[in-house]
Amino acid sequence: MEFATQHRIGRGRAVVLAALCACLCSLLAAGGAAARTDTHTSARVTGITVYAAASLTDVFPKIDSGPKYSFGASSTLAAQITQGAPADVFASANTTIPAQLFAKQLVQKPVVFTRNRLVLVVPTANPAGIHSVYDLKKPGVKLVIAAPAVPVGSYTLQVLKQMGLTSSVLANVVSRESDVRSVLSKVALGEADAGFVYSTDARTVPGKVRVFKIPAWAQPKVTYALAVVSASGNKAAAQRFIKEVLSKAGQKKMITAGFLPLPKAKSGR
Amino acid sequence: MRKALLAFLYFLAAVVALAFLALPIVAIFVHVSPGRLIDQLSNPVVTDALIVSFKTTLIAQALILLFGTPTAYLLASRRFPGRSLCVTLVELPLVLPPAVAGIGLLAAFGRAGLLGSSLSAAGITIPFTQTAVTIAVAFVASPLYIRQAIAAFEAIDPNLVAASRTLGAGPARTFFRVILPLSRGGLAAGEALAFARGLGEFGATIMFAGSLQKVTQTLPLAIYAEFEVNFDVTLAISALLVLISAAVLISLKLTSLWQPSEQISPSRFARLSWS
Repeated sequence: MEFATQHRIGRGRAVVLAALCACLCSLLAAGGAAARTDTHTSARVTGITVYAAASLTDVFPKIDSGPKYSFGASSTLAAQITQGAPADVFASANTTIPAQLFAKQLVQKPVVFTRNRLVLVVPTANPAGIHSVYDLKKPGVKLVIAAPAVPVGSYTLQVLKQMGLTSSVLANVVSRESDVRSVLSKVALGEADAGFVYSTDARTVPGKVRVFKIPAWAQPKVTYALAVVSASGNKAAAQRFIKEVLSKAGQKKMITAGFLPLPKAKSGR
Repeated sequence: MRKALLAFLYFLAAVVALAFLALPIVAIFVHVSPGRLIDQLSNPVVTDALIVSFKTTLIAQALILLFGTPTAYLLASRRFPGRSLCVTLVELPLVLPPAVAGIGLLAAFGRAGLLGSSLSAAGITIPFTQTAVTIAVAFVASPLYIRQAIAAFEAIDPNLVAASRTLGAGPARTFFRVILPLSRGGLAAGEALAFARGLGEFGATIMFAGSLQKVTQTLPLAIYAEFEVNFDVTLAISALLVLISAAVLISLKLTSLWQPSEQISPSRFARLSWS
């Protein structure tokens, strides 16, 4: 963790010094002392573990390289937290899973922190000749979607239902993957003819997939929420990480990665 | 005094090790009541996965026996340049991480893979089908059988084979009437191990075949998929797999009891020479 930190910003002596300082602090924290790293550096929260949706894999470490991250399907992470996994922050690709955990008092009150858009991706070669969601009805199309418990899987089902394509398109599903990145990789590899992912995921494999928009009227509301895990041993640091994500700098990085800004009224707490 | 201390330390280590190994297995069964476990077994997710698992594993086993037995016999009975290379190749999937096996299978049989274009020219696409599951299972499980079969064939007294030939039996008759019966214990043991490994196959399957209920979702994949949906179902499937694995292991121990009379063979060194 400390090495990764140094790697990323390891330019200039002052920065190295700061990183070394952070190393020392995190060592102290690991030793049981409640050392605070933020007194030295503003944008790094160490000593916590963030469980975050797979679609946040690229952007979260850019916002803060300090925490340990565990990326996966929000539903899988929620199941792990329910089973007592040592998470401090939980960031989900929907609002329903954090709300469920909040109802069970497993997390504190969730906060909405970003939005996203669902898109249809096909391999660049487009072997099945797909140009819109409607083309997914064609017999023989190999469509890969995420499992229904996974947020992106349930958004996908919402789109199909909205467009009246549920039964005709689901007949072409060849695999229900465990998270959004598995869907993306099966399409990017060219093994599947099409898949539904977030627009931010599609951007991580430029040149490998072609992206088709979903009609605006069928687009689901993809809203992300995060919360401090109730069992966290370091709630203050967890809270700081959340603040960082919600901060102007954090939000700017989310938007650079292709996430949608929060509606004005909803931003902040 | 020191002897007693040593004995105590051995005892302590054994207790820790046994408890460590037994605890997770016991936990599966005590986490929910047996009645609820049995209820969960009628869940369509479980029954569908059971059918997919057994179908693909049995087909894979048939292929492993069909191709593995002659391969093992060849490697056991002939000495040729490159033989140890072949044996190593056969054993490699055994130590390979399953995820690597999945990537390898995709790179070979996937649509964009090595054989992909010729396969699709013939109208065959393998990924996301039960064929893919069967291939994944065969790939990871066959080394267990072939390895054991080589050992079983090598353990046969060559004098018995020679006697059969001098008494006028042809090579085919000798193979089916002398060699196979003499090695059946070892072959059955290898087959049982390959079956258990095939039934538990996860990594290569999820990468190469995907996961779809009734089609490619095997029991281990169902555990993974249901983990976030219904923990009781995952416990039920896990309990089922523990029982099946235990049954395989016990039958393995029993078959080793009725190993045929190869013990009269003086040339048992051959058994070790390859490993």
